[in-house]
Amino acid sequence: MTDVDNEIRSLAAAKRLPDSHLEKWLHLDQPGRVAVLEVARSLKLRTAQIVTALDLLDEISIREGQPVGTLLARPSIDRLTTGAGSAPARAHAFLEELRAMRFPRLRETIERLEAALAALRLPQGIKVVLPRELSSDELTIQLTVSNAEGLERFLNMLMEKRGELARILSMLGGGDEV
Amino acid sequence: MKFNVDALIVAEESRGSALVNRLVQALGTSVPVTYVADPRNALRPLPVADPFDAGKRRIVVMKRRAPFLMACPAGSSKFACCGYLVLVLASNCPMDCSYCFLQEHVANNPSFQLYSNFTDCFAELEHLAASAPQRHFRIGTGELADSLAMDSITGISTDLIEFVRDREYLTLELKTKTDEIGNLLKTDPRGRVIVSWTLSPEAVWKSSEHRTASPSARIAAARAVLAAGYRIGFHFDPMIAYPQAEQDYLGLVDELLDAVPAERISFLSMGALRMTPTLRQAARRRFPNDRMLLGEEVLGADGRLRAFGALRIRLYRALQDRFERAGARVPAYLCMESSAVHERVFGAKPANPATVGERLAIG
Repeated sequence: MTDVDNEIRSLAAAKRLPDSHLEKWLHLDQPGRVAVLEVARSLKLRTAQIVTALDLLDEISIREGQPVGTLLARPSIDRLTTGAGSAPARAHAFLEELRAMRFPRLRETIERLEAALAALRLPQGIKVVLPRELSSDELTIQLTVSNAEGLERFLNMLMEKRGELARILSMLGGGDEV
Repeated sequence: MKFNVDALIVAEESRGSALVNRLVQALGTSVPVTYVADPRNALRPLPVADPFDAGKRRIVVMKRRAPFLMACPAGSSKFACCGYLVLVLASNCPMDCSYCFLQEHVANNPSFQLYSNFTDCFAELEHLAASAPQRHFRIGTGELADSLAMDSITGISTDLIEFVRDREYLTLELKTKTDEIGNLLKTDPRGRVIVSWTLSPEAVWKSSEHRTASPSARIAAARAVLAAGYRIGFHFDPMIAYPQAEQDYLGLVDELLDAVPAERISFLSMGALRMTPTLRQAARRRFPNDRMLLGEEVLGADGRLRAFGALRIRLYRALQDRFERAGARVPAYLCMESSAVHERVFGAKPANPATVGERLAIG
């Protein structure tokens, strides 16, 4: 057993990491094991965050055919692990970045849809909600009104924006812009 | 037969049945035969590293007590549905697709089950017809098992075809990923039998569909049965939305249409890869390096993981467009998708399941 393995076991024991994930961690090649240990320490990852990171890294590694050490050396990750900011904020951003790597087209599509929604410049009382993780093709539109005039104003506004909303619905349904 | 069998276990009550005699003769002396009073123990998982895989090589013949005929388990009021009726004549499959739902469905009884009283299903079919005269039904055997994988040793397809070919109200669908069509070519179906193939691009076949016939072999088998008087259909199901999927699926459609004129295809179905979290876990445990199990799936309202909406609808539409451009309207349906998705893909709301089933049966 190497020193690194001892350090990983010691951290895992302190964090009460499930055996299955300790095994997954120790199963990585040496650069991968070390890289995960460095990230876990520098970002002060909590147990659930280590579990999530190991699962995501395992899946990204298989999808992209790249070892975990190489994935963690990417500039987008390196910026987060070595950059400024609080450890919890960087840990959160780190996991978000891993999710973006694991679900690249989903992330890109969500960003595109959110940009299209922002461009609508709707007032506060109208909320257009995308389906969670784009699991369906349905938009939810919420109106918050307290009187008939407000309702009419919002409905008129939605009618004015129906072309753009239809375009967003088309994107949700796999239209060419996606 | 191209698949390995380790053992044949027969319930005493099935000893001497036509099915057992066929199996004993076909398997010869190389496969040990054991007769048991109660076959239920033989169905359970063996204490080995991969009991599901071991179960595939252990044939257990017994009598089926439950009805053979049932509504397709994929059907639900939440989905547009094709009105498929299922005959359960076997359970499990000698092939080993990494995404297969049987890994979850038969996890507790993974042995390959065959039923010595399978001809009792004919009475159920007669009863069905009597309950709804004038209706046509599409009945298939390919839900809990591949319809043809073991046919060279069971000969069940011949019994089924001989039963349905004189009954105008029935259309039999034999669904397969094999090219085991030897028995079919010896039997005249009189237009009452559809043989359908699940088709996947080469990349999916290589990565995930272990021990199945190659996509080209499946298409060649389809041509052969078409020439022998069978109708044919194709299931693009599961469709897997990997990065080059659209290009690969369209290439596969082109290969298919080069071999088979579109107007000779009775129907096609499409359905995205869908897995419950439990199935995904089982599949990942058995096939940890299969990239096809690691798509951009998200959890839907029905508790299944599928590629996110825009991605899979785009794939459906691309395939549908390609078939439409081929110049013939091939009847098509989606499996386990909502009416709204159906409308996006086909431009119209789906008909009710019974009507769809009847249309597909009549052709």
